[in-house]
Amino acid sequence: MKFQIEDVTVYFPYDHIYPEQYAYMVELKRALDAKGHCLLEMPTGTGKTIALLSLITSYTLSKPSNPIKLLYCTRTVHEMEKTLAELKLLHKYQIQHLGPAARILALGLSSRKNLCINPSVVSAENRDSVDAACRKLTASWVRALAIENPNIPSCEFFENYEKAASDAVLPPGVYTLQDLRVFGKEKGWCPYFLARHMVQFANVVVYSYQYLLDPKVAGIISKEMQRESVVVFDEAHNIDNVCIEALSVSVRKQTLEGATRNLSKMSQEIERFKATDAGRLRAEYNRLVDGLAQRGNLPLADTWLANPALPDDILKEAVPGNIRRAEHFLSVLRRLVQYLKGRLQTENVEKEGPVTFVASINAQVGIDQKMLKFCYDRLHSLMLTLEITDTDEFLHIQTICDFATLVGTYTRGFSIIIEPFDERMPHIPDPVLQLSCHDASLAIKPVFERFQSVVITSGTLSPIDLYPRLLNFNPVVSRSFTMSLTRDCICPMVLTRGSDQLPVSTKFDLRSDPGVERNYGRLLLEMVSVVPDGIVCFFVSYSYMDGIVNSWHESGILKDIMQHKLVFIETQDVVETTLALDNYRKACDCGRGAVFFSVARGKVAEGIDFDRHYGRLVIMFGVPFQYTLSRILLARLEYLRETFQIKEGDFLTFDALRQAAQCVGRVIRSKADYGMMIFADKRFVHVFSFNTSLYS
Amino acid sequence: MTDGQVIKRARYKSSVKDFGVPGVLKMTRERFFFMPNDPKSSARLNVEFRLVKGHKFTKEGSNKQALLNLTVDQGGNYIFEFDTFSDRDACREYVATAIAVSGEAGRAGSERSAAPLQDEQLSHAEMERRIRLLQEDSELQKLHKQLVIGGVLSEAEFWATRKKLLDENASRKSKQQVGLRNDMFHVKPSSDGQSNKVTFNLTPEIIHQIFAEKPAVRQAFLNFVPSKMTEKEFWTKYSRAEYLHSTKNVVVAAAEAAEDDELAVFLKQDDMAASEARRKIRRVDPTLDMEADEGDDYTHLPDHGLSCDGSKDVTDSPYELYRRSLLQELNRHAAVVLEGRAIDVELGDTRSVAEALARSKQDDLTDEVSDGNINQERLDRISRMAEIDDLQAPRDLAVAPLCIKDPRDYFDSQQANAIKSLGDTLAGAKQMKCSLSTAEAYGSLRDYISEIKTSGLNDSIVKPEVALKVLNGLTQSISSTKYHLGKNPHESVLDRLPYVAKQELLHHWMSIQELLKHFWSSYPITTTHLFTKVSRLKDAMSQIYPKLQEIKESVQSDFRHQVSLLVQPMLQALDAAFAHYDADIQKRSAKSGERPNGFV
Repeated sequence: MKFQIEDVTVYFPYDHIYPEQYAYMVELKRALDAKGHCLLEMPTGTGKTIALLSLITSYTLSKPSNPIKLLYCTRTVHEMEKTLAELKLLHKYQIQHLGPAARILALGLSSRKNLCINPSVVSAENRDSVDAACRKLTASWVRALAIENPNIPSCEFFENYEKAASDAVLPPGVYTLQDLRVFGKEKGWCPYFLARHMVQFANVVVYSYQYLLDPKVAGIISKEMQRESVVVFDEAHNIDNVCIEALSVSVRKQTLEGATRNLSKMSQEIERFKATDAGRLRAEYNRLVDGLAQRGNLPLADTWLANPALPDDILKEAVPGNIRRAEHFLSVLRRLVQYLKGRLQTENVEKEGPVTFVASINAQVGIDQKMLKFCYDRLHSLMLTLEITDTDEFLHIQTICDFATLVGTYTRGFSIIIEPFDERMPHIPDPVLQLSCHDASLAIKPVFERFQSVVITSGTLSPIDLYPRLLNFNPVVSRSFTMSLTRDCICPMVLTRGSDQLPVSTKFDLRSDPGVERNYGRLLLEMVSVVPDGIVCFFVSYSYMDGIVNSWHESGILKDIMQHKLVFIETQDVVETTLALDNYRKACDCGRGAVFFSVARGKVAEGIDFDRHYGRLVIMFGVPFQYTLSRILLARLEYLRETFQIKEGDFLTFDALRQAAQCVGRVIRSKADYGMMIFADKRFVHVFSFNTSLYS
Repeated sequence: MTDGQVIKRARYKSSVKDFGVPGVLKMTRERFFFMPNDPKSSARLNVEFRLVKGHKFTKEGSNKQALLNLTVDQGGNYIFEFDTFSDRDACREYVATAIAVSGEAGRAGSERSAAPLQDEQLSHAEMERRIRLLQEDSELQKLHKQLVIGGVLSEAEFWATRKKLLDENASRKSKQQVGLRNDMFHVKPSSDGQSNKVTFNLTPEIIHQIFAEKPAVRQAFLNFVPSKMTEKEFWTKYSRAEYLHSTKNVVVAAAEAAEDDELAVFLKQDDMAASEARRKIRRVDPTLDMEADEGDDYTHLPDHGLSCDGSKDVTDSPYELYRRSLLQELNRHAAVVLEGRAIDVELGDTRSVAEALARSKQDDLTDEVSDGNINQERLDRISRMAEIDDLQAPRDLAVAPLCIKDPRDYFDSQQANAIKSLGDTLAGAKQMKCSLSTAEAYGSLRDYISEIKTSGLNDSIVKPEVALKVLNGLTQSISSTKYHLGKNPHESVLDRLPYVAKQELLHHWMSIQELLKHFWSSYPITTTHLFTKVSRLKDAMSQIYPKLQEIKESVQSDFRHQVSLLVQPMLQALDAAFAHYDADIQKRSAKSGERPNGFV
């Protein structure tokens, strides 16, 4: 259908529209008009994504004089695929009604692992080895050698793409990752570099949060995006966690051992170069003297992860003199690694701020703050000089330098926590040193500053006034929409007692109570015997799920459950989980019926839809509170209280609630869908009284 | 199966002990031929299936011969030995259908010629099948006993309405694949309490499951047995490994594995399953693909980001290899059950099961090459999934063709309904005039057309009010019963009745159905045979009538209403039949005045 919102003609690909979708579009349009940021909450199952896409594309269509670019951020690749599928639908509709004028270029962007079509590269087992394998074929020095010596392998797709030069463009259309690969294969061009190139010209770019929020990635990918862009963070209820994770680093014993190995490898390389090509090292030294830490424009294929610090905080000045020489820099790093090793040997939990930490480094091993700060740039330069291509081998030293740079750059909003062992397994020594960021507003600040409009939207953002405080911005529009229900398509219930009238809960004292486990099991057993098709269960953590499934197995409840439905489980292995999900869907499709066990805050809860017959019932076993004894969480809570005056209890309840809402919201996709939700924990009664806007 | 022909290599034997004449056995629909390899041999055969009375065969087993024995009417028999059991089974199935077809053809012929009063000659197999059916279905047996042995219906009449059961059952049932049980095999070691001995029980079913779920064990079996160890040793070793796992002592498992290479195979994680998983993941729906996310996640570089709750896994590297989780096994198990029984091998022979499974996996691999259109399908699916269905006009749903397993059953029940509602009108139904002249037909057609012209086609075929009324009428009794009985879906009216009354009621319902079926199918009465049959049926029905009344009175007062509701349609149906019978008799007696010779 086609309708007007003030001066904008909106092309909407369906015959009807929900009233809340219309209201959502109106608010969104006002925010775009005001060129400001906005915060919109609308429950799942109301077609947020399509409303958003059709308004923003229609907005651009009706104002051709200043086209705006849409940067659409999703949390996961599969959500990216879903969004692009909806965009395809919309694009088809707009072309039908407007003709070629409505043509846009939209594409998804992901890592080499998901885009590469060179069989020898993509067969590598993980992302880092794919990246490294690609660099081995495409780094500028490798290609230079390959021209002289045909025995050195190169990537034909990349060469073809380079040869085509400016002719290598994507025709308008909507491209999913799969489409990009197909197009690349057809033309013989590398889809990854093609996509990265086309991102600058595309009208719509769909990619993951990190491509904007994580300075390591954003520094390469999103550096040249225009200001006239609308940035959308979809499913953004967890955006604060993404922000703090982007600036956090942890160091373990293995990291330090790996870093030591890396350092000796590098010093061997330096010796080798000294003997054969001393000029190169001297050239690097001279360049550093001139103050060029980064040599301007690197060839496209040479770029590696960017500086972990935010762009505004990176010093634009010459590298300090005492780390200009490669050997000197290596010895600084050796001392740093040695120092960290010493710190890890502690027997108590230690917590300190960056300032004292830097001071103690300076006192003990004589590395000052500025040197720390330049660690990343210096390492990067050295690796390029040494022509290192197997970057996956050097991740450890990379981590150390990221840590050093961050700790040298930021003085507040961070803390350093050293734990000699995991709180839950005190007998197993597993020392870890974590630099954790507490302030979510740090990472997102450049995004708010750089782009005209930032839209933060999700099914659950309540309390909606908390997000502007957490992220430190002023939205021009901040609205929460409720779902208009034409019929009772959801049936939420809270279960506080089991069939034997004992209270059920995952509270710490009740958690391992066999009575609770049995009651939970019986609940599920009764449900699987009456609910058709798919059932999803969420547990509070992996360890809890593992424990309860084992105890169900031993008591025979699991066997009874399996009489009714197949059982699939989320494990820590993503490949296995993905296959389990695929099989789960097949079982629901063929009418066999299945149960899926999953974890709140896990990867599945984060973005897999259990709509329609894939989820007729969702059971939430327990309230998904964060692990409250975690030092990092405690430190963050303290910071939140001091800086933003947010009470600990409020934050924890808010956090548990958004996770729970997220889990159960997975079963509803549209109003034609229906499902039942059971919250099985006595504490849900209090939690819901804290905030009733979940599903009113 | 019924068409075409089967040609297999076989040996013709005059007796089981005989070595036999090697040759080729060829079967067509009507007859089978045997051509000896040695053209000079006299053992040439050419026999019609019509003459074959039955067949016997040896049970499948590793050290037995694959024999097929065809018995002939005149008392002779032909024994064939096949190279493999699968060849034999193919022939056996063919023979079974061929015998059934020719037997039936023969019977049909005889039925046409001879008086249907007499029991037709039954082939042995036919008889066997009927007996088996009766054995399997106790209700049918009861009915059979009451009606046939009670003399109301003849054997042939009884079975004539169940032809479908007879010929389909035998050939179709064996074709349906049996799925796997969704039952985790877990060696529950049973110890006898005195010695330290632990016993494991393995059945062919369990072995099949193990092979399907653990490709590494399957591979090990193919590699080790029988060259390195016997089957028994193999399973002992396997059970040992399972036992070690069940103790959950990783260190001990690792230590034992270090000493024994073969044991290590079972204790280690299944590499083959892992590589299979990696292959499969390429075909997964991209909207589910979480592996792709991992490939895109630069925040969680090793050691970047925060370690989330609980997800921190402690890896003591030397033992990690031997750790195995229940969760993983559950996933693997459910996947195998979902896939179903992919192989068509009898479970007895362990080696052939292992080989067949390995082969089917190989086939999967080759399939993968040609998955271009699977990709397309997947894309279509995604775009379909992306749509919000209730915001647009409903698209044409893919319609699954209605499959009525036994049409006769289905339409009979429909007919019963029709009779029920038409009960009274049927008795006084006036004879429809069925022959129309062309002019009349044309006239009526013109009337209809003009009617449509004036009123237009806008009217729906049935007025909504009328439709609603009909629907209410039909469903009222159902819903009201439901309503009165509360919301418990498990409990129907019948379940609340005393067991005896319930059984009796159901039985009467069955026999009334049966009798009515025969009753109505006998009209119009054209032969004396039918006339006597009808009167027999009428008598039988009138015997049931008072019994129903009895049941109604015998039940407790609080059920009486429900029971009378249940009995009502039965009585109505019987009444309709009686009324029709009486009307017919009257008509006949009126006619008989004109034609005193009775029926023609």
